[in-house]
Amino acid sequence: MRQPTRWIALAVAVVVALVGVVLATQVGGDPRADATKSQLVGELAPDFRVTTLDGQAITTADLAGKAVIVNFWNTWCVPCQEELPALRSFADAHADEPDFAFLGIVRDDTKTAVQAYEPAKTIDWTVVTDPGAKAALAFGTRGQPETFAITPDGFVAGAQIGPSTRADLETLLDAARGRLR
Amino acid sequence: MKAWAWVVLALVVVGAITWAAWPNGGERSARERARDLAAELRCPDCEGLSVLDSSTTTARAIRRDIRDQIAAGASDEEIRQSYVDRYGESILLNPEGEGLGVLVWGLPVLVVVVGAGGLALALRRWRAQPAMRATASDEALVARERGASTT
Repeated sequence: MRQPTRWIALAVAVVVALVGVVLATQVGGDPRADATKSQLVGELAPDFRVTTLDGQAITTADLAGKAVIVNFWNTWCVPCQEELPALRSFADAHADEPDFAFLGIVRDDTKTAVQAYEPAKTIDWTVVTDPGAKAALAFGTRGQPETFAITPDGFVAGAQIGPSTRADLETLLDAARGRLR
Repeated sequence: MKAWAWVVLALVVVGAITWAAWPNGGERSARERARDLAAELRCPDCEGLSVLDSSTTTARAIRRDIRDQIAAGASDEEIRQSYVDRYGESILLNPEGEGLGVLVWGLPVLVVVVGAGGLALALRRWRAQPAMRATASDEALVARERGASTT
């Protein structure tokens, strides 16, 4: 131990190297980045049970065999209002397809508010409430709007965090049907 | 410093760290577990608040879900993992001990270890340096000077 400064320098170099290795292997892997994407893509869609405005229950099993688009929305969210025209146009274009289902799950809002919400009165797709926010939790939503594509065999094929355009919705539906754009 | 003093110091430091880091003993109630887990999870739809501290619909739903999972017999780790699976690592307020979390937890420990090593080396070096001793000629010189000053 005749040269302690060498040992100290070596120790510092080892620390710096370790930090460098960890940083290098984690570039682009910031855990906060996962807030802007869904963890469910590629996974089996969560089981959920939601209720239509007239009180009928809809479960995951009811949607089996269909390409499903699930849109979380509510009446007070401005981006939800902004994406409404795209949702309408998308729903109209696919309304007659028997292998397709479109579900609008109300997130963080009340059934009464939805019933009183004027634009909701002309919505053609199925609007459902989410008692206890269980579906919103199961899908790992952080807000609204968020839209998920589910394949006929029940896997999450894609997700859109934030408002969707018509093109986004078509891409999601293609993903749910196993087609690449 | 005597060797035994170093040993005692090391024992005190290790004991204090172990005591501080050791999980609280005893069986925790379901209520305590639910509270602790809610404090560990980040509220998904608010900024910088835990699920415990937030009053959003989602935070309330998560608190209810934690209680339900505990009642169903899930372990703390299973409940934590169920949220990581849905939301990713960012749902945890405390970073995991992997990836960048290694830096957060490991770097301070590494710095302390390296610092302690450096300090020990420096102390050894200082101790190894020869103490200054007066030679016979030095003693003679001092005696001569003292004798000269008293006469």
